[in-house]
Amino acid sequence: MSFHRIILTVNGSTEQVDVPGNMTLLQMLREKLALTGTKNGCAAGECGACTVLMNGEPVNSCMVLAAECNGADIITIEGLARDGQLDVIQKTIIEQGGVQCGFCTPGMLISARALLNRNPHPKEEEIREALVGNLCRCTGYNRIVSAVKAAAEVQ
Amino acid sequence: MINPHPGLPELEYVMPASLDEASKFLIEHTGEAKPFMGGTDCFVRLRDGAWNLKYLVNVKGLDGTNEIRFDPKNGLTIGAAVPMNKIVSHPDINKHYPLLTEAARTVASYQLRSRATIGGNICNASPAGDTIGACIVYGGKLNVHSIKGKRLEPLASFFKGPGKTVLEPGDIVTSISFPLPPPNHVGRYIKLGRNKISDLAIVGVTVLGYPDSNAKSGYTFKIALASVAPVPLVPLKAEQILADKPLNENIISEAAQAAMDSCTPIDDVRSSARYRKYMIRNLTRQALTDVWQKIKK
Amino acid sequence: MTIAPTKDKATTNIGVSKPRVDVREKVTGAAIFTDDVQFGAGLLHARAKRSPYAHALIKRIDISKAKALPGVKVVVTGEDFPNRTGLYLRDRFIFARDRVRFVGEAVAGVAAVSEEIADKAVDLIEVEYEPLPGVHDPVYGASSEAPLVHPDLGSYEWPNFIFPVPGTNISNHFKVRKGDVDSVWEKCAAVVEYTFRVPHVQHVPIEPHVAIAKVDDEGNVTLWASSQSPFAQRNLIAKSLDIPESKIRVIAPLIGGGFGCKAGVTMEAIPVAIALKAKGHPVKFRLTREEEFYTNFVRQGLVAQIKVGCDKDGNLLGLQNTMYWDGGGYTDYGVNITRAGGYSGSGPFDCPNVKVDSLCVYTNHPVGGAYRGFGMSEVHTGIVQAMDMLAEKIGMDRVEFLKKNVVQEGDKILTGMTMHKTGIKECIDKAAQAINWGVKEPNSAPNKLRGKGIAVMWKAPAMPPNAGSSALIKLNEDASVTVMIGGQEIGQGTFTAMAQIAAEALGVPFESVKVKGPIDTQYSPYEWQTVASRLTWSMGNAVRNAALDARRRILDMVAEAWGENVEDLDIKDGYVISYKTEESISLKNIVVYGIPKPNDEGWIGGPVVGSGNFMPTYVTGLDKETGQGERAVVHYTTGAQAVDLEVDLDTGQITILKAVSAFDVGKAINPDLVRAQIEGGFVQGMSSAIFEEMKLVNGHMQNPSFVDYRIATSADVPEKIEAIIVEAPQDDGPFGARGIGEHPMVPTIAALANAIYNATGVRVPHPPLSAEKIYLAMLDAGIVK
Repeated sequence: MSFHRIILTVNGSTEQVDVPGNMTLLQMLREKLALTGTKNGCAAGECGACTVLMNGEPVNSCMVLAAECNGADIITIEGLARDGQLDVIQKTIIEQGGVQCGFCTPGMLISARALLNRNPHPKEEEIREALVGNLCRCTGYNRIVSAVKAAAEVQ
Repeated sequence: MINPHPGLPELEYVMPASLDEASKFLIEHTGEAKPFMGGTDCFVRLRDGAWNLKYLVNVKGLDGTNEIRFDPKNGLTIGAAVPMNKIVSHPDINKHYPLLTEAARTVASYQLRSRATIGGNICNASPAGDTIGACIVYGGKLNVHSIKGKRLEPLASFFKGPGKTVLEPGDIVTSISFPLPPPNHVGRYIKLGRNKISDLAIVGVTVLGYPDSNAKSGYTFKIALASVAPVPLVPLKAEQILADKPLNENIISEAAQAAMDSCTPIDDVRSSARYRKYMIRNLTRQALTDVWQKIKK
Repeated sequence: MTIAPTKDKATTNIGVSKPRVDVREKVTGAAIFTDDVQFGAGLLHARAKRSPYAHALIKRIDISKAKALPGVKVVVTGEDFPNRTGLYLRDRFIFARDRVRFVGEAVAGVAAVSEEIADKAVDLIEVEYEPLPGVHDPVYGASSEAPLVHPDLGSYEWPNFIFPVPGTNISNHFKVRKGDVDSVWEKCAAVVEYTFRVPHVQHVPIEPHVAIAKVDDEGNVTLWASSQSPFAQRNLIAKSLDIPESKIRVIAPLIGGGFGCKAGVTMEAIPVAIALKAKGHPVKFRLTREEEFYTNFVRQGLVAQIKVGCDKDGNLLGLQNTMYWDGGGYTDYGVNITRAGGYSGSGPFDCPNVKVDSLCVYTNHPVGGAYRGFGMSEVHTGIVQAMDMLAEKIGMDRVEFLKKNVVQEGDKILTGMTMHKTGIKECIDKAAQAINWGVKEPNSAPNKLRGKGIAVMWKAPAMPPNAGSSALIKLNEDASVTVMIGGQEIGQGTFTAMAQIAAEALGVPFESVKVKGPIDTQYSPYEWQTVASRLTWSMGNAVRNAALDARRRILDMVAEAWGENVEDLDIKDGYVISYKTEESISLKNIVVYGIPKPNDEGWIGGPVVGSGNFMPTYVTGLDKETGQGERAVVHYTTGAQAVDLEVDLDTGQITILKAVSAFDVGKAINPDLVRAQIEGGFVQGMSSAIFEEMKLVNGHMQNPSFVDYRIATSADVPEKIEAIIVEAPQDDGPFGARGIGEHPMVPTIAALANAIYNATGVRVPHPPLSAEKIYLAMLDAGIVK
């Protein structure tokens, strides 16, 4: 099996990684870069726990080949806070009680951040639509939706 | 027993420099290589063993596969590897082909639409493909690259069965082209899933209508139905009823009934055939009513 | 510093919505779940060879080709592990030995240097089967015609409260006989008789099961597992592999949802078994999402044949409930769900004549295990719908009917236990009021029908009579407090609640209390399992006792140093204060170094550690033939749920306009966390009610992925979900608290089914209440054409 040498930016730092053709971006982040905040919940693009930003757009990292990421700019949950300062959506999800077991939370926050980036003042319906790809079994979602609303008001 | 691999099985990721190179490679490795665009369906099939490939041949970015071009005189061309979200957010598509926007937006989730491509949605040839109906009613034709040269494939004859198309080894769908849309047209895509949004279509109804002085009724309607036959279905009899008879609620119901009668759905894990048939009738009636209310103004 | 002394006991920690203690790490991605623990280059990856048959004899297994594959380190089969295991009934092996009993059962295990190689090796294992006729329905399974799934049932081990019937597929037959049901029906003014079917559903934690085992050269086993039950796992794995408990250490990091499926032992024994043959190497076994769906515990299916009757005034006279639980190929845990379903099988209703038969039936289906509610969602689906039907038949308003018949303090419930104080009537009133019960509201559009439904529930913690908890509390130099517990933070917020209880009992600020994972059986005090909504109550008592113990030690030390009586001292906000002298002293340093005597004459005290435990001692056995006994359970949490919804006449889809839940939690330690449980529980209940079903065809699950096993998304959830807290204190709960983790999803199926009936006049009794079922039922009833 041949390897691809890729150079990419992850959370602002440049990384060089050798990856086999069948390695997904998710596997690369977790296994090569030890960025374990991004979670593997289904490996089929359905649950959203592995959502990261790729060139500013949210993607299921289990649905992207690592080899495709040469030159890409990736932001994971570990890159959401800056210098120890939480992103506003991280603050509001805490305030609204939108975290229980925490396993969906990283992907959920990335999707929420992406929504707020493209639409700073989303309507409730738009928030719910933007989060359908992030399954949560604990919270029942409404507190997460409230957190996005609250973040939109603050930011 | 359904027991997929934990990850993608061993395979090589190939990056040809041109479409010619890609086609050649695909022919040389017939049966063990496929063109690779978004990957959202492909990965699932590789994991569950439905596809057993040695090579994924990247065709993104080759010769316009990533581009959207609109020309007010000739129409629209969307590169096969353009992801759904690019279609949803493209101003020319929103303005001139809003039904494409509406349909593309119903595919799965936002993050999946970052990757899922229109070319993939069509070439997978799922009877449930959400954008196929809009592509059919807008008169889309596929631009296909092969070692013999380029050719056009009309969608009407493209699908041969679930997962089956007229494509031959080495063929690469590079884009889909649409003529200018009919003036003052209105479109509607109603998708019924188990969840409110994000599911695959139990049934999908695409309707496009526009004033047409050549039609006896004064209007032409184009209809495409998803998930109710082995291939995306155009209910010709329903279209004919709407072209021939002066439109009113009863005629719309008659056409909806004709749409229902034209379906040959199956029972599967998502729905019974019986429910599908009734839903085709009810949702076709709903979509036709919505469109008619708007175009008659 | 002096704090104005006052004996005012106004609490600052209980009944207050303190922020979660585990939340920052969860929003930054720093939180460590089991799959995130790093093991370095020696890590091996395991995969399981699984049965493609629902029922078959294993004739031959050939592992030679798999063993020969480069990179493969270990291949094991059932031959290597002869002991049976199981939480209640010891009926299963780690790997199937003579026969397989469900599709997906593990028959062999492989460890290799990569997951890919392990995966390939599994394909190289050859297994020859002789297929057997299967049992795919529990009613058939309980009949004498059915083939036996466990011919050797009679030789298994089980505790004295489980009643298997050897020579049949019935692994537990729990009976309740109260009064005389058989003769009561003719006295009834109305009788309803109906059979309800509840399908298998899956827990769907977003984190799939994962476990890593390592065995050192002295045979010490360490298991890292996504686990609700590290202590139970230590115990069960020890027994199944003949290893003393002292040589097994289970470490349970944070867990990404469990809902019961990570209790007991399922896949966790597999990596341990493999690691025994690969000493020195950690062996990681991670289920794919697809395996998660059908190879682990599922919620059992249920067929419930119910008959209920009342007099002309609506007073319940008779209640009969015969339940056939679809236990699956093994019922090691399921037998106790059947028992719980039995002793709560009347629902929260007071009825003089009750007959319950709860049968756990072996089938060739996936294995049933604990699922949030432990049988109660399934039981209430039938019994509460039957009450709705009976209320209609006697012509009575549902709310009035429920209030007339729900259990009250002092009632002798079906098992003969005397009901304790409960706020169920208040729950009914508040839920009904919140959705404007009795007011017919307009439809939002001509193609919609609107309706309301209400349901009540009860549930007791289901566990052995002597399930115990323990806690340790140690104080640090900076006066911070470390609480050590063995109960798991599973998302419910138990670490936060325990910090509140410890802070309150000890007299220190909440912020100074630290409760952290991982749970580690080597260092954490014993906890039976994180199940049954029992932690707030049981572990809360242990933590409170440990805090009181630490408090006593501190006060003894200060009393001695100050020459005062302990009764005059108190700890407030991290200071010991004297009500007598108005002296105060910070806990800083003294809790570790002690207090110097005057004039350099020595020291008093020493590092402060408090310990505490709790175990219910009052639960009695129940008679095998009648189910009667003084106290069947520790207590019941009760509640009510009401929904207002619309049904779309074109599609059958429902839109829930408002959902209200009211539960009697005794005392809400942290009201916001209680509300979060109630909201999330409602949505899980709603999801299971509308969408979820494991579609089994001859034992094969047709929809083992998120593509076709749909759960509720953000777009499916009603915007208005209201949670109401009712507090009728629990006499032996910490600060009066009892559990609420499971209860919120228990009444949901019945509440929705009742509301759909109210809207359409058509009853869709068997979940999932899918749009398809509702539409076709309306079509068949002529409501739509």
